[in-house]
Order: sequence, then C-alpha cells, then structure tokens
Amino acid sequence: MGIYITRRLLWLPTLLLMVSAVTFVLGTYGPGDPVRVMLGTRYDEATAERIRSSLGLDRPVIVQYADYVSGAIRGDFGESLRYRGRSVGSLLASKMWVSFQVNLAAMFVSLSIGLPLGFWIAHKQGTWVDPAAVSLTLVLMSVPIMVSIPIVLWGLCLKLSLVPCSGWGGFFDLRIIVPAITMGIPGVAGLARLMRTSTLDVFGQDFIRTARAKGLSERYIDVRHVLRNAIIPVVTILSFSLAGMLTTGFITERLLGIPGVGDFAIQAIFNRDYPVIMAFTLILSTAFVVANLLADIAYSLIDPRIRLS
Amino acid sequence: MINRFSLVFSMVILLIGSVACGQTVIGKAVGDSGNSEPTTESSNVAESIRESTMEKSAYAKTEVKTLADVSEAPVGVFNRLWSDPPTLDPHLTSDTTSAGVVVEIFGGLVGFDTNLRLIPDLADSWDISIDGLTYTFKIRDDAVFHDGTKVTAHDFKWSLERAVNPDTASPTAKTYLGDIVGVIDVLEGKNSQISGVKAIDDRTLQIEIDSPKAYFLAKLTYPTAYVVDRNNVSAGGLNWTDSANGTGPFKLSDYKIGERIILERNDLYHLDKAKLAKIQMNLAGGSSMAMYENDEIDITGVGLFDLERIKDPVDPLNRDLVVADPGYSVNYIGFNVQEPPFDDSKFRRALNHAIDKELIAKEVYSDLVVPAYGILPPGFPGFNERLEGLRHDPVLAKKLLSESKYADPANRPRIVITIPGTGGTPGLDLEVIINMWLETLGVEVELQQVEWATYLKDLDEEKFQAFGGLGWEADYPDPQDFLDILFHSKSENNHGLYSSQKVDILLQDARIETDLVKRIDLYQEAEEIIVNDAAWVPLWFAGERHVLIKPYVKGYELTPMTISKMRYVYIQD
Repeated sequence: MGIYITRRLLWLPTLLLMVSAVTFVLGTYGPGDPVRVMLGTRYDEATAERIRSSLGLDRPVIVQYADYVSGAIRGDFGESLRYRGRSVGSLLASKMWVSFQVNLAAMFVSLSIGLPLGFWIAHKQGTWVDPAAVSLTLVLMSVPIMVSIPIVLWGLCLKLSLVPCSGWGGFFDLRIIVPAITMGIPGVAGLARLMRTSTLDVFGQDFIRTARAKGLSERYIDVRHVLRNAIIPVVTILSFSLAGMLTTGFITERLLGIPGVGDFAIQAIFNRDYPVIMAFTLILSTAFVVANLLADIAYSLIDPRIRLS
Repeated sequence: MINRFSLVFSMVILLIGSVACGQTVIGKAVGDSGNSEPTTESSNVAESIRESTMEKSAYAKTEVKTLADVSEAPVGVFNRLWSDPPTLDPHLTSDTTSAGVVVEIFGGLVGFDTNLRLIPDLADSWDISIDGLTYTFKIRDDAVFHDGTKVTAHDFKWSLERAVNPDTASPTAKTYLGDIVGVIDVLEGKNSQISGVKAIDDRTLQIEIDSPKAYFLAKLTYPTAYVVDRNNVSAGGLNWTDSANGTGPFKLSDYKIGERIILERNDLYHLDKAKLAKIQMNLAGGSSMAMYENDEIDITGVGLFDLERIKDPVDPLNRDLVVADPGYSVNYIGFNVQEPPFDDSKFRRALNHAIDKELIAKEVYSDLVVPAYGILPPGFPGFNERLEGLRHDPVLAKKLLSESKYADPANRPRIVITIPGTGGTPGLDLEVIINMWLETLGVEVELQQVEWATYLKDLDEEKFQAFGGLGWEADYPDPQDFLDILFHSKSENNHGLYSSQKVDILLQDARIETDLVKRIDLYQEAEEIIVNDAAWVPLWFAGERHVLIKPYVKGYELTPMTISKMRYVYIQD
C-alpha cells in the first residue's frame, strides 16, 4: 500500500502542472485583461502599458508561466492584481479558513441530524415512517438556498430575533447559525439515506442475530454493534467531501455576509485576477487529489476485500 | 410579517440580480468604482449627495486659519457596512471603496470640507505664482504621522515620486499628477526624480506645473497625491498598509480581510480632532437594510425595493431618512457617432426626444434617480440649470426621424446597444427606453450583454455601435473632468468618437482660462453644443439619494464625492 500511496502522490505534481498550464493559458488568451479592469473606464494605453510592464504582464506567456511555477513551488503565489499590495497566499488562506469553518459547522448540522435520523428510519422499515421521512429529507435537499436563506432569516432573525441577520464573527459566534442550518440541512438527506441503508445492512448480519440470541438488550445491540458498524461507510464518504470543505458558494456568502472564498474567487474571475485564479485552482486540485486518496485508503482499511495496487 | 418576509425576499432577489447582471445596476455602473463589487453599492451609497453648490469657492485661495483644537475626549463608535477595499495604499487608490478608508487614515497638502470647499490639510498656506505655474506650499509645523514623526516637504517629495514611479504601477498617477513638470519622464522611466517638485527646506514644497490649470489644487485632494511615511513603506513590504502610518484623523487599528476594519481616533491630528473614538467597518457584507433595522449598523442606503415603505411617514424608519442631491456622476447611453445610423445627428436627436425620462424616473425608479438633460451633475461646478437639453417631445422626435438619413427602415442598419453584464436582466430603464423608441419612432433596437472585462476592451477599441450601462463619476470637482475627458476629439476616453472643432477649441481655451466666470462660460457653451448635438443620451444623475442614518449619529454629511469627513461625526443620544 505504501508503494500505491507514493505512486499516487508522485502523480500530483504532474497533474498540478497540467492544471496550472491549462488555467494559465486559458486566462491569458481569454478576452479582457486585468489592467483594463484595474483602470476601468479611465483606460489609456500609455498608463496600461506602464502598469503591464511593471507587473510583468508584458513578458511572453511562457516566461510568465515559468516564473509563476517557480514561485508557486516555493509557496509564493504572487501578488493579487485586484487587491494591490496583497499576497495571494495570505488572501486565500484567510478566505478559505472562513469557508472551512462554515462548512465544518454545516457538516456538524448535517451529521447531527442525518445520522440519528437515518438510524431511526432504519428501525421503522416497513412502516409509513420510512418513505415519509426519506421523502421529507429529499424535499429539504431540493430547496435551493436562495429560498431557504430568506425563510430561515425571516424566522430566526426578523421574527424571533435570535440571531443577527448576517455577518461573520468566527466559529464561536451566533452568526454562524444561519449558514450552518441553511447549508447543513440539504446534506441531511444524503447522510440519512446512507445511514439508513448501512444500518439495514448491518441488521441483516449474522453477528446481530447472534447478539440477539445471546439475549442482549436491543439498546445495547443498537449502540454497541449496529451503530458502530453502520457508521463506517458514512465516515468514508465524508472523507470525499473534505476537499469541498475549503470553499463555500458565493450566493450564500453574499446573502449572509460571510467573507468566504467563493465570492472572492468569482470576483477574481471577473477582475481577471490571474494569480488568485491560479492559486485557487491549484489548491483545490491538490485538495481533491488528496481527499480522493484518503478515501481510497480509508476504504482499503475498512474493507479488506479492497486491495490498493 | 408578510411585509417583512417580502422585504427579505426581495432583498435576496435584488442581491442575486446584482450578482447576475454585474455592472448594469444603476448607481453602480458609474465609472470604475466597484465595478464588479455589488456590495459596494450599499456601502458607497452614503457617499452620494448633499446640497452643496460649491461653485467658485473651491478654487479661491484659502486663508490660513488656525483651527481650534477641540480636545474633548472622544466618545462613541460608529458602525457601518463596507466592503474589502482593493487597496489601502493611497498611491494605488482608484476606487471609492478604497478611497473612503484611505482619506480617513492618510492626508495630503489640501483637502475638501463637507461643502467641497478647498481647505488646508498638511499645508497651512500656499502661494501661486502670477503665471499660474508655480505653487509654493508651506507645510504645517505641527504636522506629524501617527507615530509622532514630523511630516516634512521631503516626505512629500518622496511620496510624489513614489506615486509616479513605474514600479508602483499606480493607475491614477497620470490623471492626478500628470500636470506636474517632469512627472511623465518619471512615469516613462527616464528619470527617478520629478524635476518640477522641490523641497526647498523642511517646511517648503514647490511644485511646478506645465500650464496654468485652475483645477490643479483640486487634483491634489485625491489620495494619489497623499504623503506616506518612507520608513513605513520600505519596512512593511508588500502588506505595508496593514501597519499604515498615516497623517489622517483616524489610525488603522485592526484590519482582517473580509471581516472588519477598525479605525481609531488619531490624538495627534493637526486639524479638528475626530469626535468619535472608533469606526467599525463590517466587511463581511450582508443585507444592509436588515442589519440597519437590527441595529447592527448606523447607516444604510435605501434600495429601490424598500423605498416605498421607507417613504411612508407611518413607517418607523421614516424619521431616519435623509434625502439629498445626487452624487457627482451621470449615467448615459453613448453613440459611436462615426458609425451608421448614429453618424446622423438628426437620428440621434430623434432618439433623445423620444424618451420620457421623467416617467421612467418616477415609475421605474421611484425617483431614486434624477433625469439628466446635460452632462454635468447638479451642484457640480459649471452645472447649468438653464440648459434645456433634448426634452421628451414625441412630435419633434418623429419629425427629426423623418428628416434623417435613416427615416426609411430599409436603409437603417441593425442597431445594437451593448451593455456590461453576464446573463442577468439588463437595467430596467434600458428596456423601457427601447420600448419607447419602438412605440414612438418604430425604431428597433437590440440589447447585447458582454462581460465586464471584455466590455472594457471592446469599449476602448471603439467596437460598439452604441453602449449603455455606463456612467461617469467625478474624480475632482471640475467640469474638465467630464467635458474635456469625455468629449474632446483627442481624448482616449471619448469612446463615441464625438468630434467637433468648435467644442475642441472651447475645451482647450477653458483649460488655461484663469478667470473663473469665463471658464465656466466656456464649459457651459461646450456642454450645450454637445447635448444639442446628441452625442449621448444622458440618462440619470444617479447615486443613492435616500439614506437612513440613526438619529443618535450627528454631524454626518452626505457628500457627492469621497472626502475625509468622519472626524465631524459624533454620537449623541
């Protein structure tokens, strides 16, 4: 397995080089350029030329790319073209950290509702509760956030005045509640269904029958045997979503005033802030590769029938 | 409760709308400020307006006045919504989101008061030579940076040279400092020192400009001309502004990107010290109105969807409403006058006369905008209230169309107005206008959206037959900033390629005319020709005119331009 992991990790730089080259070339040859956006409607060619040359944007694309890669290897993602005088690394780090915290809170909501719910539904198999609860979670999953956010805001903020309407104050601030709920609820459906299936799967196992035969209480069996076994696939699935934890959607961010990375990335595209776009793409690519690898490893650890080679 | 729900919901729609249609939202399409930064809207809203006719006083030499040192203990915290400033480096500042913070932290030789009269800042007096070319500034004796270091003429010389150094890559250096002798050489890398700037001694700074320019002092109020601390800049590296050592009434005490900016009063400030202890700027954004109602912020602009409700005297928020004149900006539809069918002035005039702007302003925008019939905004130097413009007149419109080269639809080319945006709905006004053209004149016009960065490129390359969703915002209060930059045939910002020898001559004469009354006359004459020639369809003097301010906030003035004004604000229950 060590060899397998090493091989996968060795692929990473090659993959990143390919991703970065494509992003760089698409950005450079696409219409519009960052200096134009910087100067807005007050564009004049001489000023633009000067700025391009001092930012190194007038060099051949291949030189710019090589320069970028050599910086990126050393962890220097350059200077933002939109937020002048700011390093891309520090900008992205602070924005991604916010997104990560919001996702963590949302995941907490999904898990704390989804897992017990799925577990409970599994116990109700064959009754009307099962299809009803599954349908309900599906409905909740299908509500777009631009609908769910106003509803939650209206209730919690305007009607009950329980939380501020928007803004950000860190993980331990009341204002994390609305994003956690609105982003966490849609995740409930998937988790509940997964939990339900895996619980039912465990129910059918021989060791459960043995446990019952031994005369153990249902409660003891549930906690000690069913839950612990049923939760394993869920954990594996979660490792997939780790990569996605670094970003949040810009609509949620805009509506709730969360300084996450989603809006920032969208703005970077509109503003042709290439260093930010590049760094963002590279970080996410890395995160996805690593998360997939983790998921693979997790599978092989849990299920001995899966061999990594 | 239904009402409140619909409020939140409409807010959401509005937000999403502004996300989707990028620059086309009125009031934001203006100039280069916050071009794809929808949250800026709500924060800059407050910069709009005020009843100021600043006319000539702006340029009169200001007498030296020692300002009374009000050193009462600062009280209160002012909370507002803002968005992440693209930069806090004065020399790189080119947008209102940055400028709004920069003007409170840094300062220059001269500034504006809330009536937009030129006032001394770090210079306590200045002399202008008879030929109008040499400005000699005396730096205040008590002028210090936040850390207590004295500000000298050498600091100014160094700062001006940094601003124009090609390595700084300032987008605004040429606009604001290009009149100074030797600046262009530095910008082009031929020289590292500005030959026209001399620090004669610690307190005396001499600046020489290339020709007499009435608006030169006004240009020096912009952050590009501000003084920065040399040690601060060189020690701080890339993120030096995080520990900015300025000269303004407030100090930057905390800046967390995307979260907050906290400004604290500068106790060493040389003019009237700030009355507030602190300004907290929430950068995370959110629904401005809801936050205001929830007492999280002390000021907010009122958007179209909330306007009817707030205007109702029964609404509890109505008493917080402040209504002021529009900001110094104008929205318009530009024509490429060298391309058919806009090469025929009769056709252009017909289109102008066919639009009922009063109706649109009232019914579509609930009077959030003021119809524009000229180029210069109300209250702006040179604003001509007698300018008739091309008013709504369907009969005249039809007559002009029938006399034009394009009377017959058969020899009328396809007409396309290009607007910036990415797939959202275009501005409501444009849809109505196109309908008015169709109904009154039978002229069919299409709208086409192009993403902002591409739009700018095509605009500069004069690829558009006609263009909308655009505005122009004043950099400094001088008619030159509108008329010369937008309509002189040699100007790079004349995207409609309007060209009139007569207008060119008037504009050139006005550049060097030192008699203020004559100068304004020249500009007004030029404006009248441009308007009657229908180079544009001037649409709106936009800018948010309706702002809510908490009743305990005193001394907050709504100004049509970004100026340092937070030092006048205080909190009183």
